Amino acid sequence: MIHNKETIPQQPAPKGTIGPIAWLRGNLFNGPINSIFTLLGLYVLYLLVVPTVQWAFIDADWIGDSREDCSRVGACWVFVNARFSQFMYGLYPSEEYWRANIVFAMFAGIIAWMVIPRLPFKRWMALFALLIFPVISYVLLHGGYFDLPRVSTHRWGGLMLTLLLATVGMVGALPIGIVLALGRRSNMPIVKTFCVIFIEFWRGVPLITILFMASVMLPLFLPSELSVDRLVRALIGLTLFQSAYMAEVIRGGLQAIPKGQDEAAAALGMTYWKRMGLIVMPQALKMMIPGIVNTFISLFKDTTLVMIIGLFDLLGIVQAALSDSRWLGFSIEGYVFAAFVFWIFCFSMSRYSQYLERKLNTGHKQ
Amino acid sequence: MTQAATNNASELMVEMRNVNKWYGDFHVLRDIYLEVKRGERIVVCGPSGSGKSTLIRCINHLEEHQKGEIVVGGIPLTQDVKRIEQIRRSVGMVFQHFNLFPHLSVLENCCIAPMWVQKKPRKEAEALAMEYLERVRIAEQATKYPGQLSGGQQQRVAIARSLCMHPDVMLFDEPTSALDPEMIKEVLDVMVELAEEGMTMICVTHEMGFAKKVADRVIFMDQGQIIEENAPEPFFNNPQSERTQLFLSQILGH
Repeated sequence: MIHNKETIPQQPAPKGTIGPIAWLRGNLFNGPINSIFTLLGLYVLYLLVVPTVQWAFIDADWIGDSREDCSRVGACWVFVNARFSQFMYGLYPSEEYWRANIVFAMFAGIIAWMVIPRLPFKRWMALFALLIFPVISYVLLHGGYFDLPRVSTHRWGGLMLTLLLATVGMVGALPIGIVLALGRRSNMPIVKTFCVIFIEFWRGVPLITILFMASVMLPLFLPSELSVDRLVRALIGLTLFQSAYMAEVIRGGLQAIPKGQDEAAAALGMTYWKRMGLIVMPQALKMMIPGIVNTFISLFKDTTLVMIIGLFDLLGIVQAALSDSRWLGFSIEGYVFAAFVFWIFCFSMSRYSQYLERKLNTGHKQ
Repeated sequence: MTQAATNNASELMVEMRNVNKWYGDFHVLRDIYLEVKRGERIVVCGPSGSGKSTLIRCINHLEEHQKGEIVVGGIPLTQDVKRIEQIRRSVGMVFQHFNLFPHLSVLENCCIAPMWVQKKPRKEAEALAMEYLERVRIAEQATKYPGQLSGGQQQRVAIARSLCMHPDVMLFDEPTSALDPEMIKEVLDVMVELAEEGMTMICVTHEMGFAKKVADRVIFMDQGQIIEENAPEPFFNNPQSERTQLFLSQILGH
């Protein structure tokens, strides 16, 4: 028979099993084979990192205004420097850059406001961002009002265009995707059939085809007085394409919510839209954050495809600059710069999504 | 019993007449007749798959019956969504797996329906929620999330959440079946109190102690039919049908 009279007090873990040295010993140097692999790995890392740093920073040339300023040993960032404003604004007239800058600043301000948890009036900010900011941006960027000279959309480009395409695509694709996902789960046969056909059509066609159709085919079918701006057509194509993907991500999340949640809400007398909006969607969206951000990131990178219909997004304008005869042979620098900018945006989205996941985690599921 | 309940003692809260339901070819409910008066406590028992859950889920239209008539609080249940929602507002339901909303705190779980369905202001809804959380003795956990509570605590919150809508009838669908043994009592205690206050209740449960203590009638179901219906004392001491005898011997025999 066992009879413990006293509770054993809590004791610290033995020394040597915690701390960084124990971690090293336990994970990297536990046994001769693993030690060899660790050292080998470090050597490969050394072979890769040192020349890269050498090329990109130590031997690189930063200042100057023509190719003669570059030693050609390391990277020639002079090229990026000289073309920087084009990379940002495309062919936007340089005396009107201030207009784009105001929009950039407001955009950054809105993002910061929404992302920093301490700041108040989030709801009003979101309303402003969705309703008023687009109008202000359009008036500023496009002009034609308040004595602002018109800048037609074919001169918009660079990072400005990339951000515009990505933001409109994301803001548009999420709600359309939610509606399509709910429609696909609906009991109403007509709604359901429509949503299934819509999703399967847009998902089954390559984005390039859609952009081509939008820019080349559509004008052939539409009457000439009904000409829609090329950028608008690209935006619509991109948004509908991504909303089909978004719909499937959201449908996946909806399926993971136990049926009991909807039943409990229904038993309390909630209408369909309240059940979805208050109970099912908030839970589903939380679970779908990785999937949604994944779609957003792929959308962000897909915007580069507008190149083929003659819109110059960041990558497009970099490529155009590479064919400039004064700057031939700097394609590595150009592409590295474009990749770096894309990476910054995508990585930020990824980090923010991880932060959101942690913040919204309210404990275990039932 | 409250004054109002006594006055309306003969008022029918739930009427089911000739109710039939099928899942595909499978006949789950067969010619169900059931009348529940205001203030009555009904316990429904029977082997698993006998249709007892389906029966009470038909009352608030979580399941749809294909034949027969259901009237709840004088309102006939039809396909009309508005009418279904009206009935659901006056019928509370407690589920086997609690079905609390995991993304909302305990307090918000209780407030959400009064605020969004009955359009009560937040303050009023919160006061009401605290009152009922107090009643089920869990007010001190109001700011926690359901995932942080034990099963018994969650089920008591679920009961409070239903009560916040001031229902005329409470439906309990095996409320203690998913609980660890030491938590069953705390939930049953709350249910007994509720019964003593005069709440109209229909409980699907295998807790025969509870049935003996509070039920006005015990209903035994098997294969989608009501086999036997009686006051608890004769039901347990002198069951008429062989199937009831067999069932009782199985659940009371150890």
